[in-house]
Formats: sequence, C-alpha cells, structure tokens
Amino acid sequence: MIFVILYFALLLLLSCGAAYYNQRSAFLLLFSLTLVSLVLAIIGGIPALRFVAIAAGMLLAAGMMSYAFREFLTALASDEMAKELRTAPLTAAFGMFVIFVVAIMGIFAPAIAPYGEAEIVSQAFAPPDNNMLLGADQLGRDMFSRIIYGARNTVALALCGTVLAFILGAMAGLLAATKGGYFDGFMGRMADVIMSIPSLIFALLMLSIFGGSLASPQTSSWLLFGFAVVVGLLFLAAAAYSLVSWLVGAAIVAGVAFAFALAGTTIFNASEIILILVVAIIYSPRVFRLTRAVAGNVVVMDYIEAAKLRGEKNWYLIRREILPNSTAPLVAEFGLEFCFVFLLIAGLSFLGLGIQPPTADWGSMVRENATLISFGEITPLIPAAAIALLTVAVNFVVDWMLHRSSGLKE
Amino acid sequence: MSFKKNTDVLLKIRDLKIQGYSDETWVDIIKGVDLTLHRGEVMGLIGESGAGKSTIGAAAMGYARDGTRIVEGSSIEFDGIELTTSTEGEKRALRGSRIAYVAQSAAASFNPAHKLIDQHTEAPVQYRIKKRLEAQEDAIELYERLRLPNPGEIGFRYPHQVSGGQLQRAMTAMAMSCRPDLIIFDEPTTALDVTTQIEVLAAIRDIVDQFNTAAIYITHDLAVVAQMADTIKVLLRGEEVEEAPTDQMLENPQEDYTKSLWAVRSFTSEQKHRPTDGTPPLISVKNVDASYSNGPKILDDVSFDIYQGMTVAVVGESGSGKSTTARVITGLLPPSKGEVLFKGEPFPASYKDRSKDQLRQCQMIYQMADTALNPKVQISEIIGRPAQFYSGLKGTALKTRVDELLDLIELEPSKYYNRYPPELSGGQKQRIGIARALAAEPSFIVCDEVTSALDQLVAEGILRLLDRLQNELNLAYMFITHDLATVRSIADEVVVMQNGQVVEQGPKDDMFTPPHHPYTDLLLSSVPEMDPNWLTTLLEERGVDNIGDAASAKIDPDDDKVEGTQV
Amino acid sequence: MGDILTLVGKRLGLGLIILLVISVIIFFMVELLPGDIAQAVLGQSATPENLAALRREMGLDQPALVRYFAWLSDAVTLDFGSSIVTDARVTEIIGERFMNTLFLAAYAAVIAVPVSIVLGVIVALLRNSIFDRVANVISLSFISSPEFFLGYILILYFAVKWGMFPAIASLSEGMTFFGLLERTFLPALTLVLVVMAHMMRMTRAAIINLLASPYIEMARLKGAPPWKVIVKHALPNAWAPIINVVALNLAYLITGVVLVEVVFVYPGIGQALVDAVSKRDFPVVQACCLIFAATFILLNLAADVGAILTNPRLRHPK
Repeated sequence: MIFVILYFALLLLLSCGAAYYNQRSAFLLLFSLTLVSLVLAIIGGIPALRFVAIAAGMLLAAGMMSYAFREFLTALASDEMAKELRTAPLTAAFGMFVIFVVAIMGIFAPAIAPYGEAEIVSQAFAPPDNNMLLGADQLGRDMFSRIIYGARNTVALALCGTVLAFILGAMAGLLAATKGGYFDGFMGRMADVIMSIPSLIFALLMLSIFGGSLASPQTSSWLLFGFAVVVGLLFLAAAAYSLVSWLVGAAIVAGVAFAFALAGTTIFNASEIILILVVAIIYSPRVFRLTRAVAGNVVVMDYIEAAKLRGEKNWYLIRREILPNSTAPLVAEFGLEFCFVFLLIAGLSFLGLGIQPPTADWGSMVRENATLISFGEITPLIPAAAIALLTVAVNFVVDWMLHRSSGLKE
Repeated sequence: MSFKKNTDVLLKIRDLKIQGYSDETWVDIIKGVDLTLHRGEVMGLIGESGAGKSTIGAAAMGYARDGTRIVEGSSIEFDGIELTTSTEGEKRALRGSRIAYVAQSAAASFNPAHKLIDQHTEAPVQYRIKKRLEAQEDAIELYERLRLPNPGEIGFRYPHQVSGGQLQRAMTAMAMSCRPDLIIFDEPTTALDVTTQIEVLAAIRDIVDQFNTAAIYITHDLAVVAQMADTIKVLLRGEEVEEAPTDQMLENPQEDYTKSLWAVRSFTSEQKHRPTDGTPPLISVKNVDASYSNGPKILDDVSFDIYQGMTVAVVGESGSGKSTTARVITGLLPPSKGEVLFKGEPFPASYKDRSKDQLRQCQMIYQMADTALNPKVQISEIIGRPAQFYSGLKGTALKTRVDELLDLIELEPSKYYNRYPPELSGGQKQRIGIARALAAEPSFIVCDEVTSALDQLVAEGILRLLDRLQNELNLAYMFITHDLATVRSIADEVVVMQNGQVVEQGPKDDMFTPPHHPYTDLLLSSVPEMDPNWLTTLLEERGVDNIGDAASAKIDPDDDKVEGTQV
Repeated sequence: MGDILTLVGKRLGLGLIILLVISVIIFFMVELLPGDIAQAVLGQSATPENLAALRREMGLDQPALVRYFAWLSDAVTLDFGSSIVTDARVTEIIGERFMNTLFLAAYAAVIAVPVSIVLGVIVALLRNSIFDRVANVISLSFISSPEFFLGYILILYFAVKWGMFPAIASLSEGMTFFGLLERTFLPALTLVLVVMAHMMRMTRAAIINLLASPYIEMARLKGAPPWKVIVKHALPNAWAPIINVVALNLAYLITGVVLVEVVFVYPGIGQALVDAVSKRDFPVVQACCLIFAATFILLNLAADVGAILTNPRLRHPK
C-alpha cells in the first residue's frame, strides 16, 4: 500500500513539476504514465502496478545509461565526430551502447565466461544458483557462459556473411551503374530472380543440398574458392583495360582466392562456411539493388560526364567519383543488412539447420530449451531477447544514420 | 486593435523577421521587412536568389514553410486581421478564399491524381461560396477569360494532359476561384519559354485588372516585373533596398544596388569576324542527324562552323536541340548521319574512340555548377586532375599549375586550394568549372547555359571572365543559351534552332537587324524589355491571339526567308 | 486503355519467365549435390546394387534435361512425384498443409493490413510528435525481434500464465470456425505484430515522402485542413507505394509462417519443409520451394499491376 501511495505521489509531483516549467513533452509522457498506471492498478491490482513501475524504471535506467554513454563518446571523439554525436537521439546512443557491450562480450568471451561453452557442469535444467547465474540448459551446461560464447559465434558468422554479401553486391552494383548497357540489364534481371525466392526458403533449399551437419570440408572450401573468384572477376572487370592487365589480374585473383579459401577453412568448420556463403548469396542481390540505385543517382551527375569525357577509366570513376558520394547510404545499408543476416542465421539455427551443436549459439539455445516455456520459465527467452536486443540496437543506430543522411526532411 | 481601420490598406507587414533552421541553429532569413499593399495594387518583389522574396510571399498568407518560423514581434495584418497571432484554423479560413497562391511550377503544383476542375472547385465548395456545379461553370468562364483553348473541356483533363503554359493559366484561374482580395504570384513564368511566357503574362495582367485584385508578384526578372507591377520593392539578403512606383524605379533608381541591377545589361564584347585567309574552321558540324536510342529525330540536318577564337551562340527554346548538338560535338551522342570535323579532320563519333589529345581539345562547362563539381573532392584535385591526366604534371609543378589556374579565374589560390565545392557560392563554383575546363588547355569550350542558374550580377562577372579568357588564350566558345540578352553581350555569330533544325544563322549584327526569319522575329519580340509599356504595345501590334504557342504554330518552315537569310 | 493492357501483359510475361528460371534453379541445384540423390539417401555404406536399383527407380539414369522437363510438366499439373523418405505422394503430404498455411497467413493479413495502413496514416499526420516517436521505437523493436521470440512471449503469457489461448495450434476434425480462430489466434497474432510494424512504417514513409511535393503545399495554401491534405491529396498518389508495401509484407507473411508454424506446432507447409530439409527429402523440398516462390511472384505481380492501375498518368493517357 505504501508503495502505491509513494508511486503515485512521485509521478504526480514530477508531472506537476514538468507542467510548471513548461516542459510540454516531458509532462505529456509523465502524465500519460500516471493515467496508465491508474487504469492498470484498478484492473490488475498491485502486481500490475509493480510491473508498470519496474518497466518504467528500466526504461528510465536505459535512458540514463544511453545519455551517459553519449556524453562519454562525445568526450572521447574528435571535434567533428562529437558534433555529429551530439545530434544522436537517445535511442541511437542506446543502440551504440548495446553494440559496444556485445562486442566486448564477444571479443573477451573466454575471459568473461565462468565455464566453457560445451562444458557440462551440473544436471539438466538446474535452477540458477551462486555459480550459475542463469541456471543450466538441457544438458547441464551453464546458460550464462553459453550466452557469452553465443555472442561471439552468432555475431561473427553474421558479420562475415554480411561482409561477403556486401563485397559481392556492392561491387556488382557499382560496376553495373558505371558500365550500364547489357551488363547492367543482365545483373538486374539476375538480382530479380534471386530475390523472387523468399530468403528463408532459398536458404533452406541450399542448406538441404550442401549444408547442415553433413557438410563436407572439400565442398565448402571449393565453394569458398569459387565465391572469391567471382568477386575477383568483378574487380578485374572494373580495373582491367587491356589483355595483359586481364592476364596479370587473373593470376592475382586466383592466388588471392586460394589464400582466402585456405584462411576461411582454418577459421570456420564446413557447415559454418556453407552458412556464411548461403546468406552472402541470398543477401547480395539486395545490396546490389541498393548500390545500383545509389550509384545510379550519382552517375547521372555532370561531374561524372566530365570525367568520362576526360577519358577516365571505370576504376577511377568508381573509386574517386562514385564511391565517395555513396558511402553514407551504403554504411546505413550495411547495418540494415546485418540485421537481416543475423535474424536469418538465428532463425535457421532455431530450426536446427544453422549453427550445429555443440557450438553455443543464441538461435539454437532457444530451441534446445523451449520445453521450459510450458513451465512458465523465462530462461529460454533470454537468448531470444539477446537476438532481439542486438537487432534493435543496430536498427536504432541505422535509423539515426538514415535520418541524418536524408537531411532535414519534414 | 485600437488604431483606425483604413479600408484602403489590404496588407500591412511590419518588421517581419523569419528564421530558417540549418546546422542546428536558427538563422535569420528575413531581417525586418515592412510592406504595405493597397486594394487593387500590384506590387513586384524583386531580388536575387536568397533575397527572401518567396519566403515573404508565403508569410503574407501567414504561412511558414517547413524548417522556417516567423519570429515573435513581427506583424502581418491582412484586412485588419493579425495573422501572426491568429490560430491555424483562422488562417486556414483565409487561404484560398481571400488570399490565393500561384506557384512557380504549375506542373508540379497540380495534384496528378485529380482533374483540373476538381482542384479548381475544391476551395469554393469547401468555403460553401458556391455549389459544385456553379463553381464548375465559373471555372469554365475563367478559363475563357484567360484565353485557354477549349475552355469548356480543358478542365476535365488531368494535369499531365495539359501543356505547361496552359497549366500556369489554369492555376491562375484556380487562384481566382473564390475571387480573393490578394493573390501571391511566386515566379509564375520562370519555368516557361519566352514565347509561352508572354501569353501567361498577358493573361495574368488582364484578369488581375478585370477583378481589381491586389497582387504580390515575385520574380527575379526586371523586365517582367516592369510589365506587371504598379510598385516595385527591391530586396537583398532578407532586407529591403528600396521601394518606388514602377516608372520612377526604372527611370531613377536611388540605391547603388538597384542601379547596378539596372546596369547589368550594358556589357558587350567587341564583335569578331571570321578569318578571311581560308583557314578551316576549328569545329565544323556537317549535316548532322541524331536521335536517342531509336526515338524520334532530335536533330535534323544541322550544320554550322565555329572558328578559332570566336563565340558562336546557339539559341532556341527548350526542346530545340541545342544541348543535343553539344552532345554530338563532345561525342556523348554519336550522330546517326553526318559528321563533326576538327580543323578539317573528322572527329571520331564517340568520345570513347577519341585520343587523349582529341579529348583535351574540346571541354565543357555546365549549367548547374552544383552537379558539375563532385562535392566530395577538394578544389585542388578537381582542377589538378585534368592537368595531371593530360600533361602528366606532378608534385610542385602540379601545385603551381593549379595556383596559376585559380589566379586566372580570379580566386585567391591559398584560400580555395583545400576547400570543397559545397562551401562555395554559385558564382565561385561556376568559376571552378571554368578552371577545370582550362586545365586541359583546350582550344574549344562548350558553354551549356552557364549563366542561366546565376543571379544577374554574378552572371555578368562570369561573362566578363569568359570574354577575357577568350582574348588571352584564343579560345573558341559554343555558347548554348535561351537568353537573348546574353547573346547580345557575348556572341560573335548566332545560330537559331527550332525543333532540331537550324532556322537561321549569321554574324550577330546581321541577326539583330531586320529582316528576320519569322521564328527569330518571334523569339526577339517575345523577350520582355524594361519599358513598362512593352507588353501593351506588343499586344496592340500583334493582337492577343497572335502570341505564344499560337504564333509559333503559324510559322511556315518553308518560308522563303529561311533560304534568304542563311549564310 | 491499350497502354495499360500491354504494360500488364508485359509484367505477366516477365513473372512467368522468372518463375521458369526459378524452377530451373530449384531443379538443377539438387543436381549440384556431391554424388547424387541416391547416394545422399542411402548414405556412404550403400552397396552398388542398391544404389543402381534406386537410381533406376528414380529415373536417375536419364539425362538431367529430360528429367527436368518431365518434372516441370508434372509440376504444372500439381504432381511433384513421391517422397524419398516415406514414399507417399508429395501432393498428399503438402496439399492440405498448404491450405492451412494459407488460412493462417490470410487470418494475419485480414487483421494486419487495414490496421497498419490506418495507423501509418495517423502516424504520418502526427509526424515528429511524441506519439510518432514512441510508435517508431515500438515498431522498430517488433521488426527486430525474431518471430520465435514474440511467439514464445505470447505463449508464456497468454497460454501458460493467463491460460487465455492454447499454446499449441494443432487442428482436429470437425472444429467450428470460431474454435479454429481461437486455436490459431496466437500464431496469427505473432505474424500480425511483425508484419504490422513493417507496413505501418512503410506507409508512413510513403506518405511523408509525398508531403514534400509542391502540390501538397498548394493544397495547404488553398486552405485544406491537415486531414484533407493527407486523405485527398497525398493518399491517392501514395497508393502505388502502399500496394507495394502490402504485397511485400504478405510475401513476408508466407515465409515468416515457417518459423511460427514450428513454434506453435501448426500443421502447415512450413513444418513439412523444415522436416523435409533435415531428412533431405528432395522432392518435398523442391515442391515446397516452388510453391513458396510462385506465391511470392504472384504477390509481387499483383502489386505491380495494382501500381499500374492506380497511376493516374497511365489511367488517363494523353
């Protein structure tokens, strides 16, 4: 009862204060919170009120954390960056904070996690205790440690997939915009075709053929090599202008692709490589479309015409004239693309077709522990919430960047 | 309000201040302007871009565009109603019914989803001034008064089915639909060709007269405002320079700035003539036909010559094929027939087949300096790149060359060397564009409407610069323009184009003395002059039905004068 | 009107070609399999005789091109062969499940489409207000949440804690329509939440994009009230982007359904696909992929045709 009185007293005091100092938006926010609390208290009683209070408190804490983090960043950044950062809304600051935390978690996972990711430390579904912050999973592994490792595994895979999709799609898009003609038309049609297969379905199709637990190391390294060669050829098509340069370039491409495939196979296992390639192939047409559109707006400019009339080669046009004018939307698109890739990988893992056990991964952790839901436990929701939180965070930052690059529209 | 209501004064603006939001701060755009407009009076607001004309026009309706705000302490009083303190609803009730607005681009300002007449009747029906059918009849009557073709039928078309000049008149009719006390005309003819402009001007002037409507006429064109306005107010960077009745203003401007505006058109370069020693022309366009990817023919048998060190002005309205000719010469659009000769030697049709030396000979300066310079590249590199690319200059030699070029275009090298295009003004950007062309050390430069996006004073500076460079470096210019005043000041020879054909060409002094080809005649006579009676006289001479589209339609391409005047 | 017909005809033809290309991709992708299908089904330990027998049974001794056309002509008559794992006809396995999936998607669409368009218009009207910002944050959060996260939260609260709706959306014979609606309420709600956030945001963006046009300023200066500016002047020109948004999200529904079906154990085609993929039952996988792709293309086609039909410039040629 005392809680209720104190709660309403505080809210009313704050809203009156806001009204008195003419803080219109703050007042509206506070007073609507008061009204909502009132209604909920009547319907749901004290537990509902407590829920609202906790939710509001968490929001407040998140807001304060974001504010502090933004101030922290502005203090660290250079003058120009600081000026940009000061315009960031709190949501974007919150996003940056979450990304920062996840990055720390991923990079220093072995140091932070108390147990190994596949280490069985107690019996199945053991409840939380002093040693295990979040209890144990269906095999008796420490949930908390697995979530920390999951940050590393899932995010790294998604990041690699996005980078590959981006290199392929952006290069093809820039080249199509500069070259125009049949090449442009052909690439556009190809993107159309790939994009008319729903991404999840296409991923399932490819995984049923190459992937899952049965993926063979040879196949995956060949596919990786093939992918690198395709990207290399695109670069070559942009940069080479004589037969000799084609030949020299081709040799370099083959070498680099080989080294790339070798490096890939030592870092990731076969099924992970397949997964990365699958998402890269599925999302590169999206990147292609956007890059083509952004670069398409640039190539119609008179300064491109002037450079063409000067006799500049495609590679110069792309590097010096088009790319500097396309970076802002492309960076935002990278964030957006990362969200899609991340959600797709999480979804596939949830279906048991993505990252394979015993590697800790947020998507498959949800699936493995889903039975707990029917006992009213929220443990399996924690990795799912982590996925949502990171995606929201990236989206918040992207939203801000998009808003900034589009200028003051409305 | 305690003071006596003066029925004669319709709009009274006092100490108007408007701010715009940019770079996270509010910046003053209008810095305390007063304005008094009487019933039935037409006031011309004139000034260069950035003078705040359009913002004042919108403010007269109590309207602040997104990203701007009217500062407290300003007063806008319309017929005794203070707009700055009125509610949004009260202001809305005035708009459309008592104050109407005619926008610059009618094509963009009519909603593409509704018929013209439905947009016309929207305001009268909303204000319950007329029933829908009555309003439609009224619209048709207004269309008739504005001399629109098929007045009974044209309103039932969609905007994209009607031409630009007609749309602009339909928009004027729409503004008249509630018989407002005041109409704001915001550059209503700027987007139109001269021959079309004239009929819109005549129509607007008539209808404003007939209904004794007060109007604010916003434009940057002195000659146009001289025809339309009773009083003229000159603005500069958000402040009033001076205000006077039209006659007085034209004859006897008081302020230095106004005088300089009036004096702009005085610059003329000395006319040069073709060499007589038989040297071949620098550029020779021979019987060129061209079209865009199997579309209709844009150019039809175009031929003309450009000699070393001379300026050839190519004149014509939009769609006449001026710019396409330039694209053929530069090699962007290979012709379907005919060829381009350079010093008597054929030039490869596509720029891709031209050698570096051929490419350097022919440079281009663009209309929009904004899109002609890469915003993300430093000035030093924009100018330095051609020098590096063609002449292989590096290091200090390159820097010296860039400094030299910046000196040549009258910009202080140390100040501009490391800057980016968005930090420069329009005129400065255009100068950088010129420097980039010069860096290639060309013999011939295509100037595509280089002054039309600039204010008159700045444009004049650019013309003087181009003239000086021509004399110093012996350059040939192909000067594409629709502005005959520019032609008068800089051209040595003139080529007149219409519908992809050359209708007349010759030395400038010949071209500006009669007899003309009828199309040249129409073009010349349609250019507004500073004389306030020019439009009246012209209409008396030619009759209201013999101007604009109607007149150009009457020109017979096989007229014998075409043969007679060709060189 | 001739113009419109040719445009629509061209678009239909293009859709057909894309579908054909996709059928090629789906069929020949399986051919890329290391070894072949028979090897994949029987595993490494299979005897050569067994392999040969299976290959003959599946027609693998014929050239791929012949098999492709046989498969395609059967697929046109909705015959996708029989499952490798269970030997049942593919059509029987997925036929009824496909109808269930369509029902679920339609259920979600009927709620999501009108609500989100209305919300999108309202948010566009109130742009930059607190309401708009809160809606922005909430919708972004929903978009960013994986379907299974939302699904399990709904199960946890609505089914386990409050016991208002069943957690498992299994279907049984002779259910009443309302029983069906109740059973499938939670999966439908999950889909609604995800799709609605998308649609609302895109509707808002489409309208706000238009608000910068000169004819909107003209409407304001003619004294039209804000709601009229949006409803009469912006909305008629926003139909093309909005139709696109709706189609895109309906297509998204079709795929989002896969995860939701697994969460709620709903007997739809998505479940069948996931099972088939893990068992490498290729005929079923191919059939499901083709059906999903065809639906996707059909929706995009409908959107493009809709956009053509609502464009005043095309409806009223010069």
